[in-house]
Amino acid sequence: MLLLTFVSAIHESSAGQTRNANTVPRVLRFVTWKADQPAVWDKAIQRFEHAYPHIRVEREIAPHSSTAYHDLLTQKLKNRDDSFDLFLMDVTWPAEFAAAGWALPLDDYFPRNAREKFLPATIAASMYARRIYGVPSRIDSGMLYYRKDLLEKYGFSPPATWHDLVHQARTILEGEHPTHPLLRGYSGQFQQYEGLVCDMLEFVGSHNGSLLTEDGTRSNLAAPESMQAVRFVREQIVQRIATAAVLTYQEPESLAVFVQGKAVFHRNWPYAWGLANDPRHSKIVGAVGVTTLPHFAHGSSVSALGGWLYGISAYSHHPDDAWTFIAFMTSPAMQKHFAVHASLAPARIALYADPEVLRVNPQYTALFPVFQTSRPRPRTPVYPIISHILQRYFSRVLAFPETDIVEEAQEADRRINWFLELAAGTRF
Amino acid sequence: MTTPTSDQTTGWIMVLPALACVAVFSLYPAMDSFVLSLYRLYVTLPGLEASFIGFGNYEQLFQDPVAHQAFLTTLGFVLLSTTFEILLGTGIALVIHERFKGRGWVRGAVLIPWAIPTVVASQMWRFLANDQYGAINFVLFGDRVNAYIPWLADPWTAFGVIVMVDVWKTSSFAGLLVLAGLQVIPDGIYDAARIDGATAWQRFWHITLPLLKPALLAALLFRTIDAFRVFDLVFVMTQGGPGDATQVIQFYGYKTLFTEGRVGYGTTISVTVFVATLLLSLLYLLTVGSKLLERERT
Repeated sequence: MLLLTFVSAIHESSAGQTRNANTVPRVLRFVTWKADQPAVWDKAIQRFEHAYPHIRVEREIAPHSSTAYHDLLTQKLKNRDDSFDLFLMDVTWPAEFAAAGWALPLDDYFPRNAREKFLPATIAASMYARRIYGVPSRIDSGMLYYRKDLLEKYGFSPPATWHDLVHQARTILEGEHPTHPLLRGYSGQFQQYEGLVCDMLEFVGSHNGSLLTEDGTRSNLAAPESMQAVRFVREQIVQRIATAAVLTYQEPESLAVFVQGKAVFHRNWPYAWGLANDPRHSKIVGAVGVTTLPHFAHGSSVSALGGWLYGISAYSHHPDDAWTFIAFMTSPAMQKHFAVHASLAPARIALYADPEVLRVNPQYTALFPVFQTSRPRPRTPVYPIISHILQRYFSRVLAFPETDIVEEAQEADRRINWFLELAAGTRF
Repeated sequence: MTTPTSDQTTGWIMVLPALACVAVFSLYPAMDSFVLSLYRLYVTLPGLEASFIGFGNYEQLFQDPVAHQAFLTTLGFVLLSTTFEILLGTGIALVIHERFKGRGWVRGAVLIPWAIPTVVASQMWRFLANDQYGAINFVLFGDRVNAYIPWLADPWTAFGVIVMVDVWKTSSFAGLLVLAGLQVIPDGIYDAARIDGATAWQRFWHITLPLLKPALLAALLFRTIDAFRVFDLVFVMTQGGPGDATQVIQFYGYKTLFTEGRVGYGTTISVTVFVATLLLSLLYLLTVGSKLLERERT
C-alpha cells in the first residue's frame, strides 16, 4: 500500500512537470556552423522560441568551413554523443550519415506529399537507399556574378560561353588597367578544399564531361571532355584572367575581391547577392549583375548543387522536439525570412512566386531553371574520400602548370574506382 | 637500517602513480591504436564489418604515393625548420646571455612568438601573406601593388612560408634550451682563455661550442620530434594545398582518420609517425645520453 502511494506520487509529480512546461522549457541542442549572416539566424530562433515557449534552443556553433564542421560533427556522432539533437548536413552528407547510422530516417515525419513542395534536387539530395534523412533549409547553386557597369561600358551582354567570358574579361582588363591596375577578370574558389570540387564540376559538366559516369559506378576524369575543361581552366582562367591568388581562395576571400570592385566576374552561391548589394560590405552596390554560369560551345550550363539540410541525430532523446523545430524553420514563412533578409534561396518552390521574395531577389525569376537543374556531387557513403582525391587532382593540375593532366586524371580515376568498388561491395 | 630490498620497494611505490599515469594515458592508447591499425575499418561502410587484415594497412601505406609525398614533405620541413631554428636559436641565446641594459626585457620579448598559440600565429601569418592586404607584400613592394605575390598560391613559396613561420615561432624555444647550456659554462674558462690571448671567435669556437654540444643536441631532439608532428600550421594556413604541396604526414593522417572515417588506415599512419618519432628519440638519446654520461664521469 505504501509502495503504491509512493509510485502514484512519482507519477503525479512527473505529470505535474509536463503541465509546468511553460516555466521550465525543454532544451533542444542544435549543432550548426558560424553563419554568414548571424543576426538573421538569431532572429529566426527567437521567433521559434516565441512560438514554442516550452522549447529552448541551444546552439553549438562550429567553424564556417563545411569540412571543419563535418569533422567536428562526425567526431561527436562516432562517439554516439547524445548531448545534441539536430544538426545541419551539407547536401553531400546524407549517404554517409545514413550508412553510418548517424542520422534518423525522417519518412514518418516528412511524408511524400510534403516533399513535393520542395525543389526536387534538394529532396533527391536528402535521400539514401529510398529513405529520407534531411529537410532542405535552402538551395545553393553556382551562379555567375558580374559587373553590370563594366560590361555596359564595353558594350557586352553577360557571356554565354566560357570563351566569351575570357574574351570580355581580357578586353575590359586591357581598357581598365591604366586607371585600375588591381582589377582582375575572374574570382572563384580554387583552394584545395571542398569548394574546388564544386567549381570544377561546373567547368567539367558544361563541357559535356562529368566527375563520375552516368550510373555513378566509375570515375570519369580521364574522359577527353572532362580533361579538356580542366586544361581550359588551367590555361585560360587561373593563370590568365584570374591571378594565381585564386588558388588560396574559399568563398569569403573570393567574394571580398569582388565586392571591393576588384573583379569583373565572380562565381558564387546565391547568398553573395545580399552581401554584394549591402553598402556596409560592398563598394559595388547597384552595379552587380547575376546570371547563369557560362558553358562551352558544345555543352550547356551546369551549376553545382549545394545547400544545407536539417537532420536529426540517431542518438537524440528528443526527436519529436527536434522535428517541431525543423518543421518551423523550413516552413514557408521562415524560408521567406531567410530569402528576404539573407538572400538564401528557398528550397520551397512556391516562394519563387512570392512578391516580397522577388522584390529583394529579382534575379530568382531568371535563375529558377538553374535551381531546378543543379547537378549534385557524387552520392556515396565514401564521398569524403572521393572528394579528397578530386581535390588533390584538381589542385595539382592547377597549381603545377607542368603536370601531365592525362596522367593525373588516370591516377585519380584509378583511386576513385578502388573506393567506389569497395563501397559497392564488389571489391573484397 | 633499511635493507636495499626495502629501499627498492619504497622506490617502486613512489614511482607507481607516475607509471600508472603513463600506462593509462600513453601505453594503453598506443597499444590500442596499434591493434586498430591491423583492421580494415570504415566508419561509413558498416556493411564491410571490421576485419582483421594483419599488416595489410601497412603494406598499403608503403605503396601509397600520397603518403610517400607527405612523408617527403614532412622530412623536408623537419630538415629545413630545425636547421634554421638551431642556428637562429644559438644566435638568440648568445645575445641574451650577454650582460646589457634591458636584458630582462629582451629575454621576455624573444619568447613572445613561442608563447602565442600556434593556431593564432598561423592565422596571423595567413593574413600577413595575403595577396592584397598582406603586410609582407607591403613591406617588400610598398605601393607597387601589381607586384604583390600570393605567397600561399605557389607550391614552393607556400612550403617556404610554412617553414618560415615555424622558424619564427620556435627559434626562441631552441634558444632557451641553448641558453641553459650556456649558463652552465663556468666564466673562469673564458677568463683563462682571455689571459692566454684568445680572440672572441677562438673563445666561441674552442670553448663555447664544444661545451654547448649537449644542449644543442637536446634542442635538436626536441625540435626534430616537434617538427615531425607538425599539423596546426598546415591546417590553418593551407589545408595541405596547393596540390598537396604542404600536406605533411600528420595532416594526411588527420584527413584519412577524421574526415574520411578510414579508422584502420588513418591509425596506421598515426602509428607509423609514432614509431618514427620513437626511433628518432632513441637515436638522439643514445648519442646525447652517452655524451651526458661521459661528462658526468670526467
